[in-house]
Amino acid sequence: MDQLARAAALLGAGIAMGIGALGPGIGEGFVAGKACEGIARAPEHASLITRTMLVGQAVSESTGIYSLVIALLLIFST
Amino acid sequence: MIFTMETIQIAAFLGAALSVGIASITCGMGVGYIASAASYGIMRQPDSHDKLFRAMFIGQAVTETGGIFSLVIALLLMFGGFDVVEGGWFRFAALLSAGIAVGLGSLGPVTGAGYAGGQACHAISRMPRQSNSILGYMLIGQALAQTSSIFALLVSLLLLYSTPLQDSIPNLTAGHILLRSVAYIGAGLAIGIGTIGPGVGIGNVAGKGCRMIGKFPRQKSHIMRTMFLGAAVSQSTAIYALVVSFLLIFSVK
Repeated sequence: MDQLARAAALLGAGIAMGIGALGPGIGEGFVAGKACEGIARAPEHASLITRTMLVGQAVSESTGIYSLVIALLLIFST
Repeated sequence: MIFTMETIQIAAFLGAALSVGIASITCGMGVGYIASAASYGIMRQPDSHDKLFRAMFIGQAVTETGGIFSLVIALLLMFGGFDVVEGGWFRFAALLSAGIAVGLGSLGPVTGAGYAGGQACHAISRMPRQSNSILGYMLIGQALAQTSSIFALLVSLLLLYSTPLQDSIPNLTAGHILLRSVAYIGAGLAIGIGTIGPGVGIGNVAGKGCRMIGKFPRQKSHIMRTMFLGAAVSQSTAIYALVVSFLLIFSVK
């Protein structure tokens, strides 16, 4: 029974990281796409746009990192 | 449950079917999007039909890569000599998971590469004189988007060729067999689903980049830099998924 629970945790780790990477990946790509548009239209504000893009992506990344943490916890601490 | 030849064949054939079946969904959509954009472009600029046709053809070839990866894995699963009983449940799980990994893993990258190719065709129809540089940026963007499908192919090949066979490990309990088999399935799901987001995201970056180079060709260097930076950050979640897959394959004892 103990092994069954551990097996469920391992499967859960895979599913958590897999689905958890969906959102951040699409979201960050969306941010960067809009930043490309913005910089093309207003190249004089390139540094400002790049900074905003990176901050936005970092915040968007956080849920991906949560998934990674949960996946690692499920692999190593169960 | 008794393990027979049929049991391992079930895994191999199911894996092969899932691999090409899932991958074809977005392969068709992505390649079709490029063709539709090229057709629309030729309507707007009939004189530049050769440039648009070339961009469409190259873009479709790169987009199709994800589908070809799935086909290769499906053929390996069916004819690669995996239908032997020795592997046991380890091999059952690894074969099934290899198919799932590369099938799901090409969903996102192919969508992304298709979007990039379509936007590049739109950009060329807007500014045919820039077609060579737009084509170059399209290829770079599509290559970035396809990176995550290469991760999925890598995990799939690892599952096929470098997972241990059940008989090679002495004193296995039923619990251990269950644990490792489920870990292999988990590894395939992690990299398979995990590459969908980054693939779509990077494709969006590359597509917007190509479109904007078509509109503002003088801002090439700025756009290129932002495209690379954004794509790299977007790729990070695929790398997390790759790490988790490797851990599930190699560190579960």
